[in-house]
Amino acid sequence: MEDDLPTEYDVIVVGTGMTESIVAAAASRIGKKVLHLDSNEYYGGLWATFNFDGLQKWMEDLKSAASENKDFKPDLQDGEQFLQASNQYSTIENIVEDWFISNDEDLPAVLAKNTQTESSEEPSGAEKVDDDKSDKKDTKHWSIDRIKKEYRRFNIDLAPKLLFARGELVELLISSNIARYAEFRAVSRVATCMNGKLTQVPCSRADVFANKTVSVIEKRMLMQLLTSCMDQGADSPEFDGYRDKPFVEYLNTKKLTPIVKHYVMQAIAMATDKTSCRDGVNNTKHFLNSLGRYGNTPFLWPMYGSGELPQCFCRLCAVFGGVYCLKRHLDGVVTSGDKCKAILSGKQRLTLEHLVVGQGHLPPEIVASTGENKISRGIFITDRSIMKGEKENLTLLYYPPEEAGQEAVTIIELGPLTNACPQGLFIVHMTCKRTKTAKEDLAYVVKKFLKAEKLEKNVSRTPTDSQTQTSIAGGESVSKDIESKNPDDENSNNTMPQVLWSLYLNLPASDIKLSESAPNNIHLCSGPDLNLDFDFAVNQAKEIFKSMYPDEDFLPRAPDPEEIILEGEEAPGPKFEGDNSNGENEKQDNEKAEKEE
Amino acid sequence: MEDYKFLFKVVLVGNAGVGKTCLVRRFTQGLFPPGQGATIGVDFMIKTVEVENEKIKLQIWDTAGQERFRSITQSYYRSAHALILVYDISSQPTFDCLPDWLREIEEYASNKVLRILVGNKIDREDREIPTHVGEDFAQRHGMYFLETSAKEAENVERLFMEIAAELMEQARCKELPRYEQNTTSINGKTTAIGDSNSCGCSRFT
Ligand SMILES: Nc1nc2c(ncn2[C@@H]2O[C@H](COP(=O)(O)OP(=O)(O)O)[C@@H](O)[C@H]2O)c(=O)[nH]1
Ligand SMILES: [Mg+2]
Repeated sequence: MEDDLPTEYDVIVVGTGMTESIVAAAASRIGKKVLHLDSNEYYGGLWATFNFDGLQKWMEDLKSAASENKDFKPDLQDGEQFLQASNQYSTIENIVEDWFISNDEDLPAVLAKNTQTESSEEPSGAEKVDDDKSDKKDTKHWSIDRIKKEYRRFNIDLAPKLLFARGELVELLISSNIARYAEFRAVSRVATCMNGKLTQVPCSRADVFANKTVSVIEKRMLMQLLTSCMDQGADSPEFDGYRDKPFVEYLNTKKLTPIVKHYVMQAIAMATDKTSCRDGVNNTKHFLNSLGRYGNTPFLWPMYGSGELPQCFCRLCAVFGGVYCLKRHLDGVVTSGDKCKAILSGKQRLTLEHLVVGQGHLPPEIVASTGENKISRGIFITDRSIMKGEKENLTLLYYPPEEAGQEAVTIIELGPLTNACPQGLFIVHMTCKRTKTAKEDLAYVVKKFLKAEKLEKNVSRTPTDSQTQTSIAGGESVSKDIESKNPDDENSNNTMPQVLWSLYLNLPASDIKLSESAPNNIHLCSGPDLNLDFDFAVNQAKEIFKSMYPDEDFLPRAPDPEEIILEGEEAPGPKFEGDNSNGENEKQDNEKAEKEE
Repeated sequence: MEDYKFLFKVVLVGNAGVGKTCLVRRFTQGLFPPGQGATIGVDFMIKTVEVENEKIKLQIWDTAGQERFRSITQSYYRSAHALILVYDISSQPTFDCLPDWLREIEEYASNKVLRILVGNKIDREDREIPTHVGEDFAQRHGMYFLETSAKEAENVERLFMEIAAELMEQARCKELPRYEQNTTSINGKTTAIGDSNSCGCSRFT
């Protein structure tokens, strides 16, 4: 297992984040010799998804890595310079982890056995993913020990992101045929907070017309407005004179009712009062464009978490001959004049034409700015959804600032069907631009939607519905005699999601820049950005690839196994005809099947 | 509609050089050894087999070389129905690595995945791992066991046919790892598992 790496490459990629992985795949796909390294034992860097145990290990590594500092005295040839790589973790700050439930041993010796009122019939569509059914019968007490014991059933994202159904990444996954490595779930509802209450935003035409809170006149107004955004986008004469003014100013001229204005601003365009009309319209267009392709919202969520996606590109890179090596540290880079010649890694000198590096690994000497848009993150394990529903939902909620000094917060709530957590729990992800610490930045939203206080003993939680119900081991449960609370009382303490565990952290900015003096064959890949989707990373990867290989195709479609003719084989295998079962794949059908060799 | 009743994903793991790729090629194409360079761009292989008059499509995934430096992506293990862990009976180190592989499998694969331990290269004279040692290991870890030779086509057909039969049996008893049926496969290809008729499992769309 300890064999040395081959030493000569066209492209060496350091870090397995999203941008790095796409570039690696693209280079390998056109026949370049690619080495892809990561110092971690997992894929994804700051884009990774961890199970509960993995996340704990990651946090421990942060602590120990902070103090690490090796010195290198490499053998250099004339005119060469050595730049030591930086510590990828030094930029993660303000980690605060809290538990709001107890350990088993702190619980009363006799647990009330059955706090469940679940009907015996299984709710359809809520089929257990993958694992045993045993916990259906289990008492639903969540203790610290139980969460730790079931660590494998969590998939927790450092940088949760959605895909627009017609966004850059979906199109790339399809056109490159990398889509076969991933599975997705459609976001089932887009929520918005109106007059202090959460409501579901009508997304499709059918939704709009089924919506009871919007009058017929408003519905017509909404459709009209959306149509003008759709048709020509921000270039439409409709927006003359407003393009660079705030979107809200334009909307004000349309005499929209407050509800319609709210939907457009906060849910569809995800705009604040400062968002320009151009951006607002383009966001709206993007949203509408992606409607109706896969589900009843424009968004997809990758099963098992965002961290799966870089891995899909890595797999393609490997399939086309890329060499993979995790747990392999970049010690530094060797430059000569305005070129990077090699890297040093694990006592080896590995030569290259191009070096593609994730931002955390760059030698500090060649970084010009560390960026403005730093990220505040909050991750919560909760016992029910922020918004009741008839089935388990995957929810997106955009929450604009309430007052000056606050940042808009994007909230993604994941349930067990995404494999984010075991049955009975939810994961809530919050993301916003950093101003202070993650905990301070997110406090106003956490207070609004979650009950983040230590669960008192002797308090038992009222079940809401069979989908979201759970009861927590905070004390002796006496559920049989609970009087049922008014279920409409959304914000009462007893129906707000109880936080079982929370984690806050600050991630570095994605808008860092290389210095002018950096060798021009070093290509910088950003970490996760503040946007909801992956477009930034995809576009960055395209630019990097183009600057390396201007005349080559970017990720042309990889052949399907049945299209490959192997040597010695007389006839290609039977073609599959049943594949085009639903009109989604017009694109690739038209493309000529490639043949290797 | 394609003519098969079940589609199962089978993945292979084990040290580099134990013969994973040869096993897949032998089974799917009857070839040995696979020509040099032939693996470039090959992702997974497909073969449809028949068990008890039912057509079963096996999608067999190889490691793409990522095992060489112990760097297989977690996503490789996702949604697998059967997992073949291979060692080389003439190489002690490949056997000694099995616990490491098991740890990785435990971490990332479904705990209900069908596991088969395979000792390959039984045509070789220089055996280092006696059959019973492999057998014991498999038993201790709740795995099926088989020795094969990709070179001589020994037990290769049997390996995959038994996997197909066992998975079909499990599918009928609904003991298969259940993967969420309502996921979206964005290329519109079907990667469905199980039986689209009698099991009530829907195809991915
Ligand atoms: N004698 C013998 N050699 C084999 C057998 N299977 C594979 N090999 C050889 O072992 C080497 C590695 O095989 P390969 O399938 O590439 O291993 P992988 O790295 O696990 O995919 C090749 O040289 C094969 O020819 C076998 O059953 N018997
Ligand atoms: Mg191989």
